[in-house]
Formats: sequence, C-alpha cells, structure tokens
Amino acid sequence: MSDAPHIHRTGGPAAASALADGPPNDGPSLAGAPDNDQAAAGLAVEVRDVVKVYADGGIRALDGVDLEVRRSEFVAITGPSGCGKSTLLHLMAALDRPTSGTVKVNGRDLREIRNLSQFRREEVGLVFQLHNLLPQLSAVENVEIAMPWSPRHSRSRAERARQLLAEMQLAGAERRQPSQLSGGERQRVAIARALANEPGVLLADEPTGSLDSASVDRFLQMLGRLREDHSTTIVLVTHDMAVAAAADRTVHMRDGRVVDAPPGA
Amino acid sequence: MPLISIVLRNVWKKKARSLGLALAIAFAVMTVVTLSVVGNGLETSATAILKVGKADFTIVQKGVPDILNSTIDESTLVRIEKTPGVKSAVGVLVETQKINASNPVFIEVGIPPEDLTPFGVTILSGHPYSPDATNQVMLGWRAAQNFGLHVGSSFVANGTTNTVVGIFSTGNSFGDDAAMFPLPALQGYNRVPGVVTMVFVKVDHGASIPSVEHSISYAMPELSTIRTAAQFGREDLTLVFVKAAATGSAILAVVIGAIIVGNTMLLSLFERTKEFGLLRAIGWTRTEVLALVMGEGLLLAVVGAGVGVGLSFGAASLLERLPELVGVLHVRFSQDAFWRGLLTALVMTLLGTIYPALRAAFRSPLDALGHE
Ligand SMILES: Nc1ncnc2c1ncn2[C@@H]1O[C@H](COP(=O)(O)OP(=O)(O)OP(=O)(O)O)[C@@H](O)[C@H]1O
Ligand SMILES: [Mg+2]
Repeated sequence: MSDAPHIHRTGGPAAASALADGPPNDGPSLAGAPDNDQAAAGLAVEVRDVVKVYADGGIRALDGVDLEVRRSEFVAITGPSGCGKSTLLHLMAALDRPTSGTVKVNGRDLREIRNLSQFRREEVGLVFQLHNLLPQLSAVENVEIAMPWSPRHSRSRAERARQLLAEMQLAGAERRQPSQLSGGERQRVAIARALANEPGVLLADEPTGSLDSASVDRFLQMLGRLREDHSTTIVLVTHDMAVAAAADRTVHMRDGRVVDAPPGA
Repeated sequence: MPLISIVLRNVWKKKARSLGLALAIAFAVMTVVTLSVVGNGLETSATAILKVGKADFTIVQKGVPDILNSTIDESTLVRIEKTPGVKSAVGVLVETQKINASNPVFIEVGIPPEDLTPFGVTILSGHPYSPDATNQVMLGWRAAQNFGLHVGSSFVANGTTNTVVGIFSTGNSFGDDAAMFPLPALQGYNRVPGVVTMVFVKVDHGASIPSVEHSISYAMPELSTIRTAAQFGREDLTLVFVKAAATGSAILAVVIGAIIVGNTMLLSLFERTKEFGLLRAIGWTRTEVLALVMGEGLLLAVVGAGVGVGLSFGAASLLERLPELVGVLHVRFSQDAFWRGLLTALVMTLLGTIYPALRAAFRSPLDALGHE
C-alpha cells in the first residue's frame, strides 16, 4: 500500500510504547474476582440471553442475544438500522442495564460492578456513533479528558495524548478544535481517546462512518497493530463490508437477535 | 489536563455567557457591599458622637427619631449628677450647621472647658476657650486642616466671627471633623438656653453600671440610656429605617442575582447535557462532573465578587458626593466589606448552580447523550 511507510514512521516504537508498558490483559483488574471458568475460556465479552425492552413504547431492542467474544478477537457486528447494534454495544460498555440476561466483560458480571466509572474509564474504550468530542476543547485535550486526573502526570498525559493522535495520523492537528476538523478526523480523535487508557476491550459504533477508504485502511492497520501489541479485543459495529471483512468474525443481527446469515443473503 | 484548566477553558470559551453571569453576580455584590458600607457609614457617623465622649454610658431623650433632636434640660442634668453612683455627668449640646457646599452638615459641640479632659479631648495646639467666651472656638484637627485654619485664625460660624484658640484631637474622625464652642455660646446661637443634647455619665469606682442606668431611667422615664454603639443604632429611628431598607434591598439584590445566575446556569447546562453524558460515558465520576460545574460557578463567583467590590467603591464614593449626603456619609471600606461581597457571590452561585450541577451529574449518561 502506497502510504505504508508513512504509517510505519508515525506508528513506530514511540506509539507502541505510548500504548502500554506491559500486557494490558494481565494488568491489575478491578475489585471482584473474575469468573474463573470464563477467564480460563479466554472470553473478553460474554452476552447471555440478553433482552432489552425500552419502557416507553415497549420496543424490544434486543430480544434474547447470545454472544461470546474471545480475548484479542476482532468481531464485527452488522445489521439493518434499528436492529439493536448500538443498544448491545452500550450494554457492553455498562452505559445501560439489560432488562434480563447477563453481560460479562473480562469475566466480570457488569451487574456486580460497584465502581462503574472506573470500569468505563479503564476496562473499555468507547467510540460513539455521533457526538464524540467536546466542542470547546482541542483535539489533544479531548483525548486527555479520558485519562485519570493527577496533576503530577499532566505532562506525560499530554505527551501520551499527542502520541495517540500521531498514531491516528493527526500529528499537527493537536491544537485544533473539533469545529476545525473534518468528520473523519473527529472520529479518529474519538478513537485515540478510546485507546487512551489501554482498554482491554475496544467498543466502536460505526467508527469508520465518515472515513474515506484510505483512512479506513489505515484504521484497520491500526487495529491490527493494537491486537498484535496489546491483545486488545475489538467489537465494532459497521455497515462497511471492507471493515467487516477485516474482522475475524462477523455477527449479523436482525430485529434484536443474532442471526446466522446476513439479511437477504 | 487538570480539572482547573478545563474549568478555565469552559468559562473562557463561552465569553458572553460567562460575562453575563459574572455581571449578574457583580451587580448583586455591588448592591450588598455598597448598602452595607453606606449603612455602616451612617451608623458610624451618628454613633461616633457617642465614641467621642469617654463614658460608661450616655443618656438621650427617649423616642426621638434622630439622636440630634434629643433635648435634655440642664435641671435634669443636675438630677442625673445627683443620682447615687454617678461620678460625673457631662452635658453636651450637639448642633449641625451648613458652613459651605462641601460641608453642609458641620458638627458643632457645645461643652464647658472643664469637661474637655473627662470627655476625652486632647489639646494639640493653643489652649481651651474660656467658659463664657462668645467669640472663641476650638477646631478638630481634621476640620482645621480641611478649612486651612490654625490657632489665631478667624472662623465664621453661627453668624459670628470666632477666633480659633485651640486645635484638638478626640482620636475619632467624627470628633476631629467638628468644632467645639463654650456651652452657653452654642446654646445662645441656637436659641436653646439651658438645653443639652446628651449626657455622658461615668459611674463611681465600684458602682454597677446597669444599676446606675436603671435608677436613672426609673427616676426619669423620659430618658433612655445607651451603653453600646449597637444600642445607639436601635435608639435612632432614622438609622433603624435606613438599615432596614438597606437590608431589604440587599436581600432583594441577592435573590434577583441568584435567579439570574440559576436561570442562565440551567439553560447553559441544559445545552451541555450531551457533554456531561459523554464525560460520564468515558469514565468521569459524578463527583468529577459536579466538581467541573461547581468549579465553573466558583470561578465566576470570585470574578464577580472582585468586580462587584470594585464597583461598590465607585458607587459609594458617588453616594458620598451626593449633595444630600456630603458630610453625613463617611464611607470606610473595611476588609469586612470584601468578605461580605465574596460570601454574597458564593452563596448566590451555590444557590444558582447546585441544582443544575446535580442534574448534570446524576443524569444517566446514555439519557444525557441522547440515544445513538
Ligand atoms: N432510549 C430509547 N427509547 C426507546 N427506544 C429506543 C431507545 N433507544 C433505542 N431505541 C429503539 O431500539 C431499537 C434499536 O436501536 P439501536 O440504536 O440499538 O439500533 P442500531 O442497530 O444501532 O441502528 P443504527 O444502525 O441506525 O444505528 C430501535 O428500534 C430504536 O428505535
Ligand atoms: Mg446505532
């Protein structure tokens, strides 16, 4: 690929060291002992018979979903609009609770986690479909806000945020405001932020929605490096067949359920 | 990036909103501080008469709207002097006179020369007037400075030309701004022979002040005794009304300010709901979101308080120059005024911010983000 050398330069050892100082999945985990069976099975995400009913209107957004994602696996979720993809991702990020069923991340049942903020900050990285950035902060600050406070580390935080942006091909754009960035650039800032705390699981909702195909390629290569270097698990909602093809596995959804084949296939 | 820099950034980025909020706070602070220093200024002016005389307590006529309207007969003065336990009773006539445009309410005190020392007057230069002189005057050093006069100069007052025989100090700016005349002379000028305004009483060594006070007000129910400046404030009805009006306006200003701040905060935080949802979604705790919002409020409060106190300096000095108030109002800014301003700003901001801040912090993140 024509821009491969470019990627190597910015995504070299510096970027790798920016991402981790050790194997992320062996790092100290949060309070509460992981479910040993599941940990042994190497599952990063385990969704069991999950139903999500939205009270207002009685919409069954998820209607008995089962899904297992192994550690460092890359799973793409596809399906028509409104089939429940975002809902499922939000449940995995502990942003919402299922009506019934269980969701486990890194072996821990999300219902039993006391400190949800810490879970969201440290265990998962989240890229939303829309509205990812704070308009009043610059690109680098938008990455920094995901990192834990500590005045002592403010320098290294900024440094790390810059490296993550460089990894996203955004070197030089650090001080720009979201309004001065293109849609694709904004999404890359959001991805950099999702990776800020070296999450074991990266959850991304249409992260390539506003990227051109060259950027999609770079994004996929970045995901590849992330998995190689840090064994990061990736769950990604996409309509883009190229992205789905790069995944280890594609999960198809329809009407709140996981189905065997893509609808209409 | 530390929280404080996000706070600064947010406040700076929304300049118009921040300016509006800071001004609302500043306006309320200005009102509160100005009214309270003016209230205190008036009180100090009136109360200062009390502080000039070094006494255990002071006696004035009961129920007069303005303390300077009090009249006490010299015969009553004699009865006071004879009350058991009274060591000395100094009767003093206090009158005001317009000297010129910048001294419309010049204070003149009529007091016998032998009472000057017990009253707490120190002669700085020259000598006291003689008891029955009709053309002698002593000036407080501030008044002398103000008029550019010294011992030997002439001072025209009450339609007579008086020779300045001495310059005195009372250790009190109110007294030092005044003039003193022999008592009969001042009574004559004002056509109030045999009358004093107030009586300064010292009790015998070992006598109980309250019991002496009690026996005086029992024997002469038309009088009231005053021991503290605050008590004096209560005795002076004009001052009571002024202070009540000032307090009422100050409360109103704070309430209006808090409503403006609360309303603006609520609107702007409502606009920013998504922002808080996003912060919560990427791992900010409720406390952190709360700290962010309250931090922004706090910053505005401090800025508003500073501006407000500054404005109140201007407002108070304008009031001091109002023709109606020249010479009556002596505004003294104390550290107290500053703290009061800051407290006003903080209370207002707290009232205006706490609800929107809690709302921002406790809303579920997805709800706040709007479903995506
Ligand atoms: N807060 C909510 N209240 C009520 N209904 C909701 C809510 N959020 C989502 N839904 C409904 O749940 C269903 C699944 O929504 P979801 O956002 O998960 O779809 P999606 O697969 O992500 O769609 P898209 O590809 O358009 O993003 C939809 O029918 C949607 O209208
Ligand atoms: Mg969606």
